[in-house]
This record gives sequence, structure tokens and C-alpha cells, in this order.
Amino acid sequence: MGVPAFFRWLSRKYASIIVHCIEEKPKEYNGIRVPTDTSRPNPNEVEFDNLYLDMNGIIHPCTHPEDKPAPKNEDEMMVAIFEYIDRLFNIVRPRRVLYMAIDGVAPRAKMNQQRSRRFRASKEAVELTEEKSRIREEIFQRGGYLPPDEVKERFDSNCITPGTEFMDNLAQCLRYYVADRLNNDPGWRNITVILSDASVPGEGEHKIMDYIRRQRAQPNHDPNTHHCLCGADADLIMLGLATHELNFTIIREEFKPNKPKPCTLCGQLGHEIKECQGLAREKQGEHDEFADTPPCSEQEFIFIRLTVLREYLERELTMASLPFPFDIERSIDDWVFMCFFVGNDFLPHLPSLEIREGAIDRLVGIYKNVVHKTGGYLTENGFVNLERVEMIMDAVGVAEDNIFKKRKEDEEGFKRRMKEKKKRMKTEKPAFIPRGQFAPQPLGGRGRPQPINNPRQAAYEMRMQERNLDNRPQSLMSSHDKNSTSPSPAVKRKAEDSDSEPEPEDNVRLWEEGWKQRYYKNKFDVDVSDDAFRRRVVKSYVEGLCWVLRYYYQGCASWKWFYPFHYAPFASDFKDIKDMFKEFEAGTKPFKPLEQLMGVFPAASGNFLPLTWQRLMTEPISSIIDFYPEDFGIDLNGKKYAWQGVALLPFVDERRLRAALEDVYPDLTPDEIKRNSLGSDVLFLGKHHPLFDFVCELYKENMMEFVDIPPELCHGIKGTVSLDENPILPGKLVESPVPMLKDIAMNNAVGIEFKDPQYHEGFVFKAVVLPGAKVPPKVLKPGDWDNSNQRPWKPQLGFNPNRQQVHLSQSAFRTLSHNMPRERTRDGAYSNAPPPGTYHQPGPNRQQRASLAPPAQYSRQPASLLGPMPGYSQQQQQQYSRNYGNEPSLGWNRMMQSQRSAYQQNQQRGPGWSSGYQQRPNDLRDERGRQGYNSGRNYPLPPASGRYNWN
Amino acid sequence: MLHGKCSFIDPEGAEMAKKGDIVAEFLGQNSHLEQWLESLAGECETEKQWRARKEFILRNMESFPNIQPGNSSRSLDQLLSLSMVWSNHVFLGCRYPQQVMDKITGMAEGIIVNDIPLRKTRDEIIGKGIRKNSSDLKIASSQVKLNSRGQDSSRNGSGTSKSQGSHPDTQHAHKDKSLKNVRSSSNEGSHVAMKCGPSPQAPKEYQAFFNRLYKAVAWKLVSAGGFGPNLDYFAILQACVESSKSSLTCIFVPLKEIPDLPSTHSQQEGLVCELRCRTVYLGTGYGRGEDSAKAMAAREALKVFQGRKVTVKICKRKYHGQDVEDLILQDDQLRNSGLPPALSYPFESEHQDLGNINL
Repeated sequence: MGVPAFFRWLSRKYASIIVHCIEEKPKEYNGIRVPTDTSRPNPNEVEFDNLYLDMNGIIHPCTHPEDKPAPKNEDEMMVAIFEYIDRLFNIVRPRRVLYMAIDGVAPRAKMNQQRSRRFRASKEAVELTEEKSRIREEIFQRGGYLPPDEVKERFDSNCITPGTEFMDNLAQCLRYYVADRLNNDPGWRNITVILSDASVPGEGEHKIMDYIRRQRAQPNHDPNTHHCLCGADADLIMLGLATHELNFTIIREEFKPNKPKPCTLCGQLGHEIKECQGLAREKQGEHDEFADTPPCSEQEFIFIRLTVLREYLERELTMASLPFPFDIERSIDDWVFMCFFVGNDFLPHLPSLEIREGAIDRLVGIYKNVVHKTGGYLTENGFVNLERVEMIMDAVGVAEDNIFKKRKEDEEGFKRRMKEKKKRMKTEKPAFIPRGQFAPQPLGGRGRPQPINNPRQAAYEMRMQERNLDNRPQSLMSSHDKNSTSPSPAVKRKAEDSDSEPEPEDNVRLWEEGWKQRYYKNKFDVDVSDDAFRRRVVKSYVEGLCWVLRYYYQGCASWKWFYPFHYAPFASDFKDIKDMFKEFEAGTKPFKPLEQLMGVFPAASGNFLPLTWQRLMTEPISSIIDFYPEDFGIDLNGKKYAWQGVALLPFVDERRLRAALEDVYPDLTPDEIKRNSLGSDVLFLGKHHPLFDFVCELYKENMMEFVDIPPELCHGIKGTVSLDENPILPGKLVESPVPMLKDIAMNNAVGIEFKDPQYHEGFVFKAVVLPGAKVPPKVLKPGDWDNSNQRPWKPQLGFNPNRQQVHLSQSAFRTLSHNMPRERTRDGAYSNAPPPGTYHQPGPNRQQRASLAPPAQYSRQPASLLGPMPGYSQQQQQQYSRNYGNEPSLGWNRMMQSQRSAYQQNQQRGPGWSSGYQQRPNDLRDERGRQGYNSGRNYPLPPASGRYNWN
Repeated sequence: MLHGKCSFIDPEGAEMAKKGDIVAEFLGQNSHLEQWLESLAGECETEKQWRARKEFILRNMESFPNIQPGNSSRSLDQLLSLSMVWSNHVFLGCRYPQQVMDKITGMAEGIIVNDIPLRKTRDEIIGKGIRKNSSDLKIASSQVKLNSRGQDSSRNGSGTSKSQGSHPDTQHAHKDKSLKNVRSSSNEGSHVAMKCGPSPQAPKEYQAFFNRLYKAVAWKLVSAGGFGPNLDYFAILQACVESSKSSLTCIFVPLKEIPDLPSTHSQQEGLVCELRCRTVYLGTGYGRGEDSAKAMAAREALKVFQGRKVTVKICKRKYHGQDVEDLILQDDQLRNSGLPPALSYPFESEHQDLGNINL
């Protein structure tokens, strides 16, 4: 969904929905990478059944990453994609199904958004290359150094659109990848893999939804399947909610704001292309060993637990004293529907509803009233009750005027605050900084205030300093006098102030009387009195709302429908909308891939199309030339940057497009005809899968028709299969499409075309929780939690409510303590810190004793030796392999613990997670350990063996 | 079809109402066309857009003889497409390849559209537009907004004089009656801007001279005891320039006549002086009288020579409210602080009218 703010808003309001992923990193021994075994239990303490990949969220960052240099060629891109999928697979470790969906041809409703993205991308790419070469030139003139411009195939990100050769190659590569993993990776042994490539129409995430929907509607579906969907779009959250599956989790990259991006010119971090100076690269680390690893470079993943979100929503939406029993499922559907008002891919959002201004909360408030009043929900199974929607819109419309006024006020207030802040920051220095004894010290620095050795001298120095201060203003003033004839500083500052933020002019001024008039005039170029036109806009918008909701709950209702305006109407314009929408045109067909390319590409990306097709984009005699402007209007619409504005691109006339293409269809080569045809999902299985023999048998019999899958062989998945034309078969060589990777000679995987179960026309998928679904345990603190008679509420951090703390084994502690003294004497950041207790006087005999004494001996010592810490258990002593009994326990063993907990944390992520350490729940110890860790007392740790990621 | 009729609408005299009549009148006579024509309207078109496009279609139907009302055909689609190109250009602000633009310019001859929405294209927003004289465009379209044919002709006049000489746009600049006034094609704009700015080779040509001047200034300053507060800046600069066999140009403008000052600027008295040498901008200074202004400007100029080297560069700066490209002298430090607005512009000798339009 084109609402970047949505996810931020959601994760702030409902913080517990986010769980950080624990990832087991592949180990490396002597330079050889040892892959992780994904057949072992999931380190996140949850087992997922199905993993769905919205591949476009993977393809884009892998082909043109923002935070690292771009891959050099297509092969590298493919490998990057494989690695990314491997990484996800390793985190999620699905046990039943892996569904990979690449965006196919999208419904017409999406086309304008696609057009605008691609037209922009194409122009941005040209601008970037221009700027690059310009700055390059400048830097060379100044004598700077830049790495030579590698001969790179310029990658046009627009090729990530169904129908291009790139997408075709990608599909081939993914087939190879799947076959390879099915053969070689133990985690994939029993997995059913479904690949829905770009030749299958539909957006990736919606193909996934369709799959889930259709599986749910058949009796063999396991209602307790745990789904995990990968993708960063905010609308995946809506889609996940819309399935009404109780165990649904979304995995996405953690969004870190202000992540440093390398300069596109020299590839170094820390500056942008504009400021590139062409300096030599600085060495990273002592021997440049960190050259390729900028700090925190690896993107981490987070889970978004829709189960928890449902809990939150239940709390928020529950309405008491309704005239009918409250149904949370219906309410969630309504909530999803209302989120569409604030923005989605298919409709512009209403001008008065901004997510940042709490639009959703406002809607929820209004919604509750409306439900009370009308006695019913807004939607059912994806069908909208327009009468009730109108009441919502009415209520929003009443507030609209105030919303705009408040928005303006907030904006002004913000500007004022920023200005004041700037002013404050400008006063460069405090008027007086004490020196000497009282000089400010940097926090955590090694310098401490020194005691005064020579008071007389110090007093003298301070006196002198004071005198200098007295002099200073005079000297300042005198120099100022001399300068005062020059106006330049004053002029310059003023110019800066006024020029720093050129305000985009706003003709609409929504906060002033007559805003509606101005809005319609400026945005639609019609008079507000033109009621007929306004009704047309509202009608289209209402249709749009119906279409989108249907799209989420039932699948694409019409491939043809689209919203034919660039702007939304006001909420207060939604009057008498009850009869505005009846039904969508039935039997519409999606575009063919190449047709869609003609619809979404600018002329500059025409090289992905056959020559005669390209000509239609450029020649004046073309009958569709109007679809391809070179430059287009952008309405900033109150925003600051061009990419935030509304691109005023003309809409595509489908009839004329098809008519124009009729003439050039004969020019297609066989390959292009193949690319232009609609394909089918493919199902892959490994040798150990129960369905494997069944499928092989089909190939042997050369079955020509569709065959139903026996669901009992395949985790209750239903559907039909038919033979693939160019299948992956056991015993048949699978050629590697990427030169760096080997062919699979001894293939044991099989692939076959797969079709979702079909339902009769007019079948309505029910948006309900399936019978037999077990409600997952609650995560949130119950509202009526009684603190007095129970333990204090323990918030749940991960998936597992009874998460076990991880502890070190004896031998690990031996290692730790063995390494400790050495570490301590090193010049670390803390080597100047005063030692806790008496630790810092290392008696030589102590060490000796430590090495001599076997640890077990001390376990038998009476607890009284521990000194003032009676809470320590026998077990615990065992773990310390040192003679600490003689020392006050407040000293280093606290440090030891803090250290240990730091170690534990890493251990959890690290490779040795389940390697049989002792797990002893011990509240006291945990508490102490955590405290130590949090207070920043992490002392130098044993030397990293290279495989730990200390970040 | 409509063409014959519209010949009597001379560009000066026609009025909107009358023109609306023409379409209506024509359709009145050919009522069989009307229904078919209405079926060609786009579903999201406003009444105004459709009326304009209808006229465009009717006027140009003649040149597509294959069009048979009621049947869709390739040539009808071509005409529709061009009408959309024109409509998108006028109402959405789209720009198409030059060939296409030329074509629709000719076809739209004589159609008058009132009250064009003001759109900024992406290029203009991103900043490429600066070179394309965006302010000029804006003025052009706002004039149309005022809606009077008289102004159109004046705009036409300026457009013509602007693209005088061997400019390829000349022919259709005469020809276009409405379109160019509506939104002067940005391509033309870019030609103009290129012509009146400094040539791209200029920095290289001047660099050698300023290297020499740099040395001269350095020695002169050494002999004067270094850059300090008590120097006669102007005398030093002038001596150096003259010893390099060139001369300084001083331009004085009263402060209050400078249009680009920030509105908060309260001072009204005094003069501002701009120094140039061989058309390259050196510095600007302010003073109560000519001498003090000159001295401050020279001081600013000498400051540039304090760096390790000087470079001649093409920079964008304001001149009479427009962004223009100017030659300036810079030291080796990168500084982003904006240049003061230019007081003179030595590169516009062929285009005196540039200033006139905007003043």
C-alpha cells in the first residue's frame, strides 16, 4: 500500500505486534561456509507451516539495492535473490509449503500507479546518470580520485515488470533454484514448493491471498495452519487480517530510518553524491578488515504478529450494549475497510484523512457510533453496505473543515518551533565556559577532574582567564565596528533564511473559507457548482471502495475497472451514494503481459518491447502517442519533493491500445509470443515428499488432463495438476541458467503445473474463522490482571510465552574465565575505569590457584563462603571455575554475570543455540544478569572467533 | 470540415462565446455527427476539456479523410490520440517529443481555451526547468489567464523576436496562435536560455586570464602588507586588473531598485555596486555612496583571491527575478551560500527584450 506512514503508525500504537527475528547465521570454518540446517527446530521458538514470498519485495532490493553497490550483472542479481530467499527460509523454516509469487499482470486499477512509478523511475535514472557524469567531471578537474566507472550494464529497474525478458529469465532461475534446494537442502525435504511467476496474472500478494482463500474454502484445509507472509507493503497486514486465519505472521525487513547510503559515485559512506569530493577511501579498521562491512550493515528482519494485532483490535473495537451480539471478525473487516480511506494502491486518499493526524482513530470513533445507530456492520465478506458508509462519510465530512484548520495550525506551530530551535542552535557558544577544575568533562571519557595540586597556580590561571573574557567583548566589538560598513554578512544570513525552505505555493488553502471551491477548481479544473461532474468523481470513488474491498476478500472483481481521476473527492461530497454502485462488469480479462508493458512503460523504457511496438510510443502518427509524454505535470499537493507529488499522467484508453496493438501483433517472434502468453503456477516436490510418486506416475502415464491432488498426500492442499511442457523431472539434467552455479546432474525433484481449486461462478468466500481453529494464547496483558494475588505480569517478548533463558555450560564458563584475565589487561575502552571492588590487584597466586583448582571442587564448598550473597545456589557455584569465595561477591562476579548475559544474548543468535547447554531457570540470577547488561557494564568479551556478530 | 468556417475568426477579434457558438452551430447543421461525437468523450473529462477537444477534433477531421463518423478506424484513433496529446498538454501539463508537439501546435491553431490550469512539469520542479526559463512560462500562462487576445499578440511578438534569426522555431512561432501562448513549448525556452547565457566554453577561455590576475593580486597584496582592514581595495584591484591588460566594470544600482531582495530587508538607502571583469562576476558591495560601495565590492572580490586558486564557473543566480546562468569567479573552497542577485547581465545583448518582459 502506498502508505509508508501506516506501518509506522501501527507499530507505534500496537507495539507488541513486533517480534525481532532470531537468525541462525551460517558458520564459517577455515574459510568454508557451513550452511545452517533448516530442518532443525526454528530458533524463534515457533514452527511455521507455510511461507509465502511476495517476490517483488525481494527482487527490487536485490537488483538495485539502496545501501550497497549494485550487482554487476544479471547473474549476480540472481545469486543475490537466491541468497535472500535462503536467508528468509532459514529464519522462517516452513514445514509444509513455500509459495513464491512474482507480480504478474495487475488489474487495470493498479495501472495508473504503475505508470506513475515507472515514468518517474525512468526520468530519475536519466537524471542520476547525468548528475553522476557531471560531478565526476568536476571532481576530476579538482584532482580528486574516483574508482573507475565499471563497465556495468545499466540496469533499468523498469524491467521488473511482467513480460520482459528479465522476468522470464528470473522464472527460469527460480526453477533451477527450487530444484537445487529440493535436492540438496535437508530443510526442503518435505516442502511443497509453488512458484507463481510473472506469467500468471495478478499481483504477487493477491495471488498468495487467492491461494489461501481457495485452500480455506475446501474441507481438507487445516484451520490451524501457521502462515508466514514475507513482504514490506503495509497492505499485507490488511490482507493477512482479511484471511481470518488465526495464526498469521508477516515477516519484513526492519525499517531503520536514516540508514547511511553510500555515495553512488565513489561508493563510500558518509556523504551524498552532491558532496562527493573524490577523496581516497579511508581504511576501515586496523588492516582494512571491515572494508565491506559498514556498521550494522546487514538488514535485520522482524515478525509482525497479526494474532497480537487481532487482540489489540478486539480490545479497541469491542462495543458494549449492542442490539446484537458483537462479532469481532466482522469488526476487523470493517476496520480493514476503513483503512482504505487513508490510502491504498488503487485510490488516492481522502484529503481530510491523514494517517499522521490520527485518521484511523477518528474513523474508529465514528464507526462505533454508526454501528450503534444503524445496528449493523459496514461490510460483509467483502461486500460494502453503502448506506452505512455514507453515515461514516457524513461524520467525517462534518469535521472536515476543522481538520483542515487544525492541520494548518499544526503546520504553523511546527514551523515556528523549528525556527526557534534553529535560532537557539545558532548562538554558537555559551557565554562562559569554566576552565580548570570546573571545566566540563565528556561523559564516559577517561579524563576525570584532577585534584588541584597547586591552588595558587590554579587561582592565577582562573583569574587570567577571567580577564581574557573581559577583554573579549571589546575586541569583538571593535572588529565588528570595522566590519559594519560591509552589509554582506547580514545580507547573506537573511538570504539564507528566506531561501532555505522555498515553500511550495498552495493555491488550494484548505484552511480558508471556500476551500472546496478552490480544490475542485485547482485539482479537477471544474467549478464547484458542476454537480454532475462531482457526482461522477464520487461515484467512481464509491465504486473504487467496493472494488478494493472485493479485491481483498474475494479476488479481482473486474480487471477493467479503474479510478479515472488523479484526486479524491471530499468526505462531505459522499451524498446519496446508496445506489451508486450495483455490480461490476462480469467476465473481464486481464491484459496480456506485453500489452500491459505498453500500458505502463514510458517511451524511454521501450527497449523491452519489440521494435514495431516501440514505434507506437514515439512516432507522431501512432494512434496511441498520447499515452507517452516525455515530461508530465506534477502537483506537489502540499508536499515538498517531486516524488511525493501527484504525477498528472494521462490515462490509458484500453480500446485504442488494443486496436493499435492489433497491427503489430504479427511482428512478434515465437519467443515474444511465449512471453506474451499467460502461464500457470508450478508445483515442485522433492523425492521424499509423499506426493512425489504420484506426480512421477502422472508423467509416466503422460496424463493429458487435469488431475486432482489427493489432499491427504499433501498436507491437505487441494488443487489440480497438469503436465508441464518443459518439466523438471527426476533423472533429467537441470541446466543452470547462471554460469557461476553448477548444473544439477542427479536431479531428484519434480515439477508440475498447478491450479488452485476452482469454485463456481458467484461463489462467496466467507470471511469467518474456520471451525476447529484453536485460538492462540493471549499475549497482551489482560485488562483485569490482578497484581495482588498473582505474580507480576510478565510481558511476552517472542513467540513462546514460556521462553527459557539460555545459560552457559560449564565448559563455556571455563573458556570464559580462562580468557578473562588476558582481556582485562588489554587497552580497552574501559581499562581506565576504576575496578569494581578489589579485583584490580591481581595476585599472581590467585591466578595460579584458579588454574590449579578443578572447578568441581568448589561446588562442594559451603555456601557461607560466598560472603554477603546468601541467595546464591549451589548450582551456581558450580559454574564459576574460579576461587571467588575469598572475595567480596559484589566485585567481579557481578561483572562476570553481566558478561555472561551479554554472552547469552549472542549465543541465542549465534550458531550454538541448541547445543545442549544447561538451562536452569533461576529468577534471581536472571534479574541480576539483565541489570548488569543494561547498565552498560559489558566488559570486554572473549575474543570473537570470527563467527559472532557482536552488533 | 470546420476549417473553412473558422477562417473568418481572425485571431485578434474572436471571442470565447462566439467560438463556442461555432461548434454548436456546426453541430446543429450536422446533427447526425453529434451523437457519434459525444460517444468519443472520455469518461473522466470535464465539460471544459471535452469542449476544447471537441473543437480540436472537428477542426482537424478534414485532414483525416478516412474517418467515417460512426465507425472506428485507425485514422480516427490517430486523430483522437492527437487530440488527447493536445488536451494533456494544455490541461495536465504533459510535454511530448518535439515532432509531436510541432504537429499539434499546427492543428490547434485558432482554438481558444480560457483559464488554463497552472501546472508545473516534473522537469521544472526538479530544477532542470531553471534553464528552461520557467518564470517566463509562468508569465506567459498567467497572461492567458487574464484572458485577452490583445495580450496574446504581444506575447506572440515577444516570442517571435526571441527566436529570431536562424532559430528553427521561428516559423511556427508565427503560426501558433493559441497553443504557444498557452504554454510556450519548453523546448523553445531552452533554446532561448542557451542563447542568452554564457557559452559553455567561456570558463575555459577566461581561466588563463584569471590565473594571471590571481598572481598579480597575490604580489600586490604582499607588497601592500597582506589583506587587511586598511587597504584601498578598489585601487588594488584596479591596478592589478589594469596590469593584466584588462579593465573593471562597475555597475551601480540603488538598493531600493533591486527586485530580488528578501522582503524583510528594511534598508532602503544607499547604492550597491557590482564588479565584473571581462564579463566575469567578481563581487558585490553595498555602501552609502559610490566610493564605499565600490570599495566593499572590491573587498569581496579580493576575498576570492585569498584562496589557493581561482576558478571561473558558470553558476545559476537571480537576475531580475529570473534564474540565469552567469559567469563567476570562485575560490577553491566549496561554499553553497547563495550569490547575491546579479545587477547586470552582459550575456543578453541579443535579447534586450528579456528584461522587458519581466519588468
